[in-house]
This record gives sequence, C-alpha cells and structure tokens, in this order.
Amino acid sequence: MDNLDNIFSQPTRRDLMRFGLACGAVCALGRAGRAITQDTPGKRQMAGPKLEGVARHAAMHWEKQPENRIKCVLCPRECEVADVERGYCGVRENHGGEYQTLVYGALCSANMDPIEKKPLFHYLPGTPAFSIATAGCNIECKFCQNWQISQFRPEQVESTLVTPERLVSVCKSRDCPTIAYTYSEPVIFYEYMHDTAALARQRGVGSVMISNGYIQEKPLRELCRQLTGVKIDLKAFTEKFYQEQCAGKLKPVLATLEWLKDIGIWFELVILIIPTLNDSPNEIKEMSAWVVKHLGPDVPMHFTRFHPTYRLKNLPRTPVSTLERCRKIAMDAGVHYVYAGNVPMHEGENTYCHRCRSELIRRVGFRVASNAVKDGKCSKCGAKIPGVWSQGQVIPG
Amino acid sequence: MSQQRTRREFLSQVGVAVAGVAIGGVAAPGCAAEPDEAGKPNRKAADNSSPRVAIARDDALARGRVGEHRELLRKLLDAAVQKVTKQADAVGGWRSMFRPTDHVGIKVNTLGLSTQPAVVDAIVAGLLSAGLAAENVIIWDRFDTELAAAGFKLNKSARGVQCRGTDAERYGSGYQRDIEISGEIGSCFSKIVAEEVTALICVPVLKDHNLAGASLGMKNFYGAIHNPNKYHDRNCDPYVADVVSHRFIGPKWRLTVCDATRAQYNAGPARHPGFAWPFGGLIVGSDVVATDAVAADLLDGERKRRGLKSLEDDKRPAKHITTAGARGLGVADLKKIERIDV
Repeated sequence: MDNLDNIFSQPTRRDLMRFGLACGAVCALGRAGRAITQDTPGKRQMAGPKLEGVARHAAMHWEKQPENRIKCVLCPRECEVADVERGYCGVRENHGGEYQTLVYGALCSANMDPIEKKPLFHYLPGTPAFSIATAGCNIECKFCQNWQISQFRPEQVESTLVTPERLVSVCKSRDCPTIAYTYSEPVIFYEYMHDTAALARQRGVGSVMISNGYIQEKPLRELCRQLTGVKIDLKAFTEKFYQEQCAGKLKPVLATLEWLKDIGIWFELVILIIPTLNDSPNEIKEMSAWVVKHLGPDVPMHFTRFHPTYRLKNLPRTPVSTLERCRKIAMDAGVHYVYAGNVPMHEGENTYCHRCRSELIRRVGFRVASNAVKDGKCSKCGAKIPGVWSQGQVIPG
Repeated sequence: MSQQRTRREFLSQVGVAVAGVAIGGVAAPGCAAEPDEAGKPNRKAADNSSPRVAIARDDALARGRVGEHRELLRKLLDAAVQKVTKQADAVGGWRSMFRPTDHVGIKVNTLGLSTQPAVVDAIVAGLLSAGLAAENVIIWDRFDTELAAAGFKLNKSARGVQCRGTDAERYGSGYQRDIEISGEIGSCFSKIVAEEVTALICVPVLKDHNLAGASLGMKNFYGAIHNPNKYHDRNCDPYVADVVSHRFIGPKWRLTVCDATRAQYNAGPARHPGFAWPFGGLIVGSDVVATDAVAADLLDGERKRRGLKSLEDDKRPAKHITTAGARGLGVADLKKIERIDV
C-alpha cells in the first residue's frame, strides 16, 4: 500500500512548523539543503511499493510523422521524436511510432500543503491542497528549486504508482478540497493530471495546476475544462532571460496567459525576482503594464524571493527592498493585488482590499491568521474581491 | 649550466607545458606514440603528423551473423590498432594506449541499432593482450535492460569483465549527485565514467541520427549524462562538444572503434531494416573528432549514393563534429586526416 492516508493523518513536525506560528523560520531540508520556499516538496518520501521502471500510458497531443517519427504538440517545443527517443521533457517516449507518457501516476512527491504555498492567495485561503508531482520538466531553469525531480528522467527518481481513482478517493474521504499538480512541471504529466482532475471534479474535488505555462492552446483548453485554478510562473519579461536562463521562450507563456484570461479560469502570476537578471524597474514596469492591459488589474502578481540553487549559485538572495520596489511598480501600474513572496511576516504577504485598502487576509508564513473576505466581498466596504472563495464557485452542485 | 631563468623563459616553458596538457588530454593527433618503460602512453612524444583513422573492412563481415566472425573481427581490429598507433605490432599498439593498471570503460551504444557484442569481445581481447586484468574492464551504457536486449551478458560480480548500466543503480544513484557545468550543459555524470575508469574506449555504431545527423563516437557520450534529452536542440550543437570537453570524458578518451559491421544510413537512431547498410567493417582511431569526421563522411557518401539528401541538405548537419574540431578536441578537417584502409 502507498502511504497517502498517512500523509493526511500524521503531520510531521515539519508540517506543524509549516502550518504553525513558527512558519517564518527558514529551515533546511532535502539532500540539496534547499531552504523552504514556495512550492518545494517536503522531505517525507512516498512510502509503499516503489515503481520499477516507468509507468507507460498512451500520450495525448501528438502527430504521426514518416519513418515512425512523431511530433509532440503538447508544448511549444514541438519536439520531433524518432523511434526509441524521448522528447525534451524526458518523460514522453516514441515507442514504435506511438507516443507514450512514462509517468502516468508515477508520483515522486506527495505532500499536504497549504494552498498558500503554491502560492495561490485568492483561492480557498487557509485550506490544504494535496500536492503531487512526477519527474520531468519541459524547460530548464538554471534557478530551479526542485531540479532534483524536474531535471531527471523517471527511472532516476524514486516513485510510487498511484491511480487517479486512489488519489481522488483519498482526498474525498479526508475532505481535502483541492489537488495541486505542482513542484516539477505538470504539463509534462498532462495525461495523469487531465484524468485525475476530471475524476476529481465529478466527486467535488478541485484541481489547480502550478505551471510554467509552457503549453499549446488546444491541450490547455481541454485541460481547463477539468481544472479549477492555475498558477503561472512568469519567469521574466524578456526573451533573452527565457532563452539564457530557462531554455525557453517568453512569447508562448504570454499566449498562455491570454488564453487563460479568455477561458475565464482563476489564475495568479508568480515572478521570481533574481538580482541583476530580471529585477530592473523598467522590465517590471513593462510586465505590469502588459498584465493590466491584457489580463486586467485583478490578476494577482506575486514577486518572490530568489535563493541561490542549482546552476545559479553565484547570485545573492533577493534583497527584500527589491521585492518592495517591484511591488510598488506593479501597484502603481494598476495591478490590484500585488504580493511579496518568500518573505514571511512581511506586510506584502497580506491581502488588502483594492478599493478601501483595509486588510482582508493576514498571513503568517503559509498560515492564514485572519480572513475578512465574506462571501467574496470586502467585509468593510463590500467591494467584490476577485478569486475563488468557495468550492461552489468552481464546482457547482 | 645556469639554474636561473628569465621571467620570459619561465612563462614560455609554463605555456608549453599547459598546451601539452591540453592537447594530450584529449588524445591529440599522433599522441599514441612510443610507450615509456612503465607501459604508460608517452604523450610527450606527440608529433605533428595527421591523425590516422583506419577503415577495416571485409566482405565476409557483412554476411551472416556478426557473432560468427569473431576471429576475423579480432584480426581486423588488431590490424587497425597497429596502423593507427604506428606500432610494430598490435600488442604494441594496445600497450601504447593502455597501461596494465588502467581501468578501462568500454562505452557501447544500445539505443536503437546497437553495438555488436562480438566487436566488444575483440576489443576486450586486445586489452587483455596489453596486460590488463579482465576485472579492470567494464562494458557499460545507460541501462541494464538495453545492454541485455543488445545481447550483452551482464556481470556485476567481482570477477571477469564487468558489464552493467549506470541506471542499474536504483533511482539515479548511478549518477553523481552534483551538477557539472561544461559549456552550456549542466549534468550529473555517470559514476562509471566519473569515478571508476581511468581510460575510455568508445564503441558507437555507424548510424544516422534524426537530429544530430550522425550518431557516432562523441554523440555516444550523451549516454554518460543524466539528462541527454535536454540537449538535442540545434542539432545537438554545441552540447556534444560540451560533454566531450568535460574532464571526465576528454582526458580519458583513448580509442574509438566505430562498429560499422551493420550500419544504417537513414532514419536513425532506431533500427530500421529498410535503411540497413551492410558496411562490414570497423572505423578505428585515437582522435575522437577525426574518427567521427571520417565516419560521418562515409555516412553522407552512402546517402548520396542512394539518392538521399546529404545531412546538410536535410537540415541536420553533424555540426557537433565541426564544433569539436574548432575547440581543439581533435581534427575535423578531412583533408588533414590520414585515412588508412585495412
């Protein structure tokens, strides 16, 4: 048996610390000595029988090509993959001219996290999200805090097989309102996320995708019929940064954001601010202006603190003053909800009504200390606060 | 004789020494010269002659099963090694490249059209003739499963020639924990290549590759890193040269034996019988770049002969060979390579 039940029922000391008042403390965890930051998996490993090899399953969103080659149309890379080869993500393989995912249900991380850790601040605040991941990613950020799962192939990461039915039934039985597909890059385990989210929706459990937004329009629209929320990492606002630091491109991510706006699903943006690389006031100003113009002022922006890791260990942590500057620039540009992240106890982690500026949600680390949003409105002035404040908003009935 | 040197003399000598290390580290042309008295390859004696690449063919090899021609393979390989190393005989050739104390990693290619075990047997025989213990030889690739499927007999015991995959260790523990940066790549290297071996023999297959153009010796070392999937953009360039440049690979590389007993001129790297090419031979060299350059040229020639586009015209030139040459890892210019038919 896997230990999904235990993950719900037996909080570790670390869990308690996360949820408790001591959340502000920064603790070391993991074999790489990572600091606790937003959306890193916890230390506890999945128990139960380990998956030997890979978990093959027919892949979605690909096209046949001559000579047993295939073209993947899941993400903007559009990998052309010869027989026996894998795509850039390392988890989708051409098997005799048929494309297969190798990580269907192969969970390498599973944790009960506060939804604030994703971070989603306008989505059922103060509730838990059962957070899962498989190995793999479709870009390579030199500052990836989860590189030990995102930048490895499935065989190289200890995983446990968990079916969508098992995952959803455990969440349902424990009244967990949300499953978060997170940590690595859920687009690359699209099929499992899609099937699980569809089943979860049927049973009244929501699903949020914590993603880099590197996905094509058709699969995104199909997926969003099942999801109830999305968080996108907007890594920077220049092609140069995406190319040099992430092996990706900015333009497809901006397209994703506009599609999400068009679809109408709730989403928030996170921008990890890295000293000297994406912290210039002009870049933040242009980014904020673009957000207001194309997505509207109600999409929250989280400017979060960088910690040296992976291939980017030569830069310092982001000064808090830089985050404060970014936050001010975005607010001046007209964004209603702007946060400072990875800086526990900072006022920028709280939610303030965009109309009367009264404090609505006070956060201490990942814990919600107080919440003055009533029926989706400011309890002081009655202004409608954008977000998902009850499960009924996203899963009617 | 004065013991005092001028600053200019000192810097000059240091510069020469540094250059020597850089060239000798990656089996520069002519580096496989006379061994010293300890049997260690004497790289200081490198001359400026063109690197030699031997093409050893026999029509008989193209017939029947490769495993039926073990004696012939051994003779062809020994003759090629003797020619490439310019030694009086084959044993001298092997000894010029490998010390008895070396731990030799034989990197085969078992993805798609695979290295023939009989070719590796011939290499092992050559190493044993140079005085190496069987236990100091390891045949390896990424996966146990792929090695076994290619016909290799796994051996993880303490006796005999070792044979195992990096991923045989559970959940990636066969790779080093830390990321190594080399040029544009950031990868964890196989512990086999990073920690176990002192010398490398690369045994690729002469085959087409849908992205890199040709999958030959240098490309074969994508099998030494944990994340090769990240480095196939831009025809795998400059990533292949980045991998080969790394201290775990380049300085240890002694010999390439490209298995061309059964080659494939199109639709690689997967096995595709419709494009099989019964070359019936081996392509052998101690210059990593030159050997690949000659093999790629043969591949392109065969494509043209069969009316297919050249790799260049098919928008998948083997750019990584040119890049490796430009970096000084070896010689990529065909005009500067001495081809020898065996």
